[in-house]
Amino acid sequence: MNNRLPLFKKILICFSFFLFFAQEVNAQTLTKKQLDSAFLLHPGQERLRKIKKSIAKTFVDFVGNDVSLYGALDFSKQNINDNAITAPINYLYNTVNSNTYNSGFSGGFRIDGIYKEKHRYALMFGLNRIAAGSNYKNIHTLSPFIEDFTHFKTDNVFTSISISAHYKKLLPVNDMNKYKFYAVIGPSFDYKISKISDANLINGAGNRAFINLDLGAEFDNKGYYILYGHYKLGNYISSSTVPVQLNRFEIGMSIKTKDLF
Amino acid sequence: MKTLFTVLLAAICLTIFSCNKETATTQTNVMNSLLTNKNWYLDYSFTDGLTSTTPTVLKSYVGQSTYFITYLKTGVTQDSDGITGTYTVELINGQSQIHMLLKTSNGNPFEVIYNIISVGESNMVLSKVISGPATRLYFTTK
Repeated sequence: MNNRLPLFKKILICFSFFLFFAQEVNAQTLTKKQLDSAFLLHPGQERLRKIKKSIAKTFVDFVGNDVSLYGALDFSKQNINDNAITAPINYLYNTVNSNTYNSGFSGGFRIDGIYKEKHRYALMFGLNRIAAGSNYKNIHTLSPFIEDFTHFKTDNVFTSISISAHYKKLLPVNDMNKYKFYAVIGPSFDYKISKISDANLINGAGNRAFINLDLGAEFDNKGYYILYGHYKLGNYISSSTVPVQLNRFEIGMSIKTKDLF
Repeated sequence: MKTLFTVLLAAICLTIFSCNKETATTQTNVMNSLLTNKNWYLDYSFTDGLTSTTPTVLKSYVGQSTYFITYLKTGVTQDSDGITGTYTVELINGQSQIHMLLKTSNGNPFEVIYNIISVGESNMVLSKVISGPATRLYFTTK
């Protein structure tokens, strides 16, 4: 107890100094150098301004863009075809196969807008932690002693970044001025950013990029929030010796950033 | 602006299509991870018939208490007969093999090569590479 008091005092003094200097920094006015700099041309900033202007000109038809943050629960399962694996490796079928949907989660932001005042769209940028059940399509045996095994074990927990572009069709359900229901369709792209295990890379089976077809429905509650459910059917974007089909159900909610911050 | 988009597109394409990172040692690494630091008990030994006219398979139940072998992560192997040595898992012309440089209890060196027919978490089938009929060895870890 006797040792604690001086330490507490030290921390208090340090904190007081920190506050004092912080106030000093806030109270500072612009120096002469900074004032001179404000009048000079900044090529970098100019270039950035030009790019922004050019983007605004290109996307002039995309209006009413609302940025929202979203969080979602994912239920995933992957179907694996390991017929092309030649490596003499066995994984007992019962220990690796789980023909179920396992839960993961995802989060990110989305931009909802209207193209040419007619076509509603949503762009989603997210980070996903996928935990997928694994359904191995082929069962091998090496009679009489090794029965029911697979040649390949896929990574069933991984992290990906994703981008989606959805077309939203307003459905004539209920009072459309208050509650809006949408049918959603569009492509999405996932890229695995977590480490791929050696077992998953064998015989050229590893692949990082998925392309998905997304189908779903969304409910917009007076613009306060959006509840959505999406089904994603994904395949590897480039050829692989072990084709994997990734099925996902995503149930999520998004809230506009201007309501949050 | 157009150049910027082209560079961005090229970078994305390059990232996507350069994603497979399988190396020459990937397969041997996986097999090593399945093989090492376990006691492999010999359950059965199968020897094919000596000639095509006598194609009978000589099956013999060895029993787990008779013989076991351990492959350590350090590259050292030892068996229940007191034979020790070093081993490497290799992939030669598409065939996965275990190369063992062993020494008898008298200190006489000898080499044994096994073809790996299948290796897993708890079972392994090897084929002894010798002239004459092949002998398959069935191991389990328990």
